[in-house]
Amino acid sequence: MNRFAGRLLKNRKQTIQVGIALIFVVMIFIGIFYAFFILKHDPYLTNLSGRLQSMSLQHPLGTDHLGRDVFTRLLLGGQQTIGYSLLALVTAVSIGVPLGIIAGYKGGIVDRLFMRIADGFLAFPDTIVAIVLVGLLGPSISNLILAIILVKWVNYARLVRSTVLSEAQKEYILIARINGLSAGKIMKKHLFPHIVGHVLVLASLDLGKIILLISAFSYIGLGAQPPMPEWGAMLNDSRAYFQSMPELMFYPGLAIVSVVLITNMLGDYFRDRFDVKKEVNQ
Amino acid sequence: MILSIDEVSIRNQNKIIVDQVSLTIREGDWFALVGESGSGKSLLSQSIGQLLPAQLQVEGSVFFKEQDLLKLSAKEIRKLRGKNVAYIFQDYQGSFTPFRKIGEHFDEYLKVHGFSSKKLRYKQAIEALESVGLAEELYHRYPFQLSGGQLQRAAIALALLLSPDLVIADEITTALDSVSGHRVLEMLAKRQKETGCSILFITHDWRVVRRYANKLAIMKDGKIVESGGKHRILDHPQHQYTKQLIKSAPILEKGLPSGLDREMKS
Repeated sequence: MNRFAGRLLKNRKQTIQVGIALIFVVMIFIGIFYAFFILKHDPYLTNLSGRLQSMSLQHPLGTDHLGRDVFTRLLLGGQQTIGYSLLALVTAVSIGVPLGIIAGYKGGIVDRLFMRIADGFLAFPDTIVAIVLVGLLGPSISNLILAIILVKWVNYARLVRSTVLSEAQKEYILIARINGLSAGKIMKKHLFPHIVGHVLVLASLDLGKIILLISAFSYIGLGAQPPMPEWGAMLNDSRAYFQSMPELMFYPGLAIVSVVLITNMLGDYFRDRFDVKKEVNQ
Repeated sequence: MILSIDEVSIRNQNKIIVDQVSLTIREGDWFALVGESGSGKSLLSQSIGQLLPAQLQVEGSVFFKEQDLLKLSAKEIRKLRGKNVAYIFQDYQGSFTPFRKIGEHFDEYLKVHGFSSKKLRYKQAIEALESVGLAEELYHRYPFQLSGGQLQRAAIALALLLSPDLVIADEITTALDSVSGHRVLEMLAKRQKETGCSILFITHDWRVVRRYANKLAIMKDGKIVESGGKHRILDHPQHQYTKQLIKSAPILEKGLPSGLDREMKS
């Protein structure tokens, strides 16, 4: 514990960053907890007589154009946005990383086959794939998630493959083979830890991108469908009231921006944290 | 006879890299394989453990105690590697996985070869480290915290961990300074005396050959041009290329190139 504290003190800039990020993460979890258990208002309950209210004790952030409590919807929206983004990300990573390791380590025909498939997926930009898929299967958040997974796993597979490709040439892998380790063990114990850092950094940066993508698609009506509370959809809902009640757009916008920022900060922190050399030197 | 390489050829799509090479290593031999870079020494040594990249094709046979290594399945050869045939390489930086502690390597390899007791594994690893003159505390260090000589000695300890019958040392002192290199070789020689293993020693350093080897073979362009006992080859070279090599590394004292006369005196 002492060592940990000492390390934190030595690098003040990082400490502040991580501190802020962690506070936000805790806040998000409290918010999600609150939304799950202590929900005061029904996020779907419309109340046209109480629409577009400003801040009050009853509605901390006021109500929207259908009289729904904005604070409750913001929290639930966060749950949706972050939850779905994480789902998409985790699925993409858990498809991409093993495939990348195997392709990089085995090489030969496996690798070539894999690369052609990956090229095929890479040929389409994520927005196009999402629009086409959502157009074919109908607009819904699950189709959007599917599209994101289809596009994103390739990035991880390629990143992992290129790292593994260079590492697998090194002699410690040869020595591990010479000493009788099986291919599975080598991939798991001698190659996988190498890429955790890279993958975490890319993933935390991607999380922000995916959140933006989901929000953007919900904003144009191809993602989350009303009345589901989602930050992008909320932005879209309040567009018409931009002049009379600009804060309706401000809250979800701020939420998106801060979450994306946090994920980037965490990405930086992870990158430093996974550097064994740095840890020992400090 | 520990190892008998019989007319082994290694080729890629365009050309033959190793051409019908045969050599025999007996128990307790320090067999030096000498030759310039690109002559195929390393590839030949890697073919012994089926370690060649997939695009290279191997013909011929490599007998290890009456077993043809080239015909073994992947699973069978895996059991043999480490336990019966061990390798040490030139690049000591890359011998250990950078983010794992030295001790974890020892532990893992012992575990793979069926040592189930954790305490015993630790004891064996410490013994192996101490046998090459390394302190116990290095067990808990990361590879980048060790010096080159320490790493190379740790690599030797790792290679000799399961007391293999054959150790293949591929230019292990080339990347070390001469003092560390000397210490590493002394250590290897000492361990060889203790365990009685045979060593296939790949090098182009004549000093090492003169000092340690008892058999040697000279390789050029994928062929063995001359092989035999050290004194025979160094004092009475037959092939033009061998003569050239010996001439290019003159010794300071007067006497035979192999040092046989001085050995006899002392």
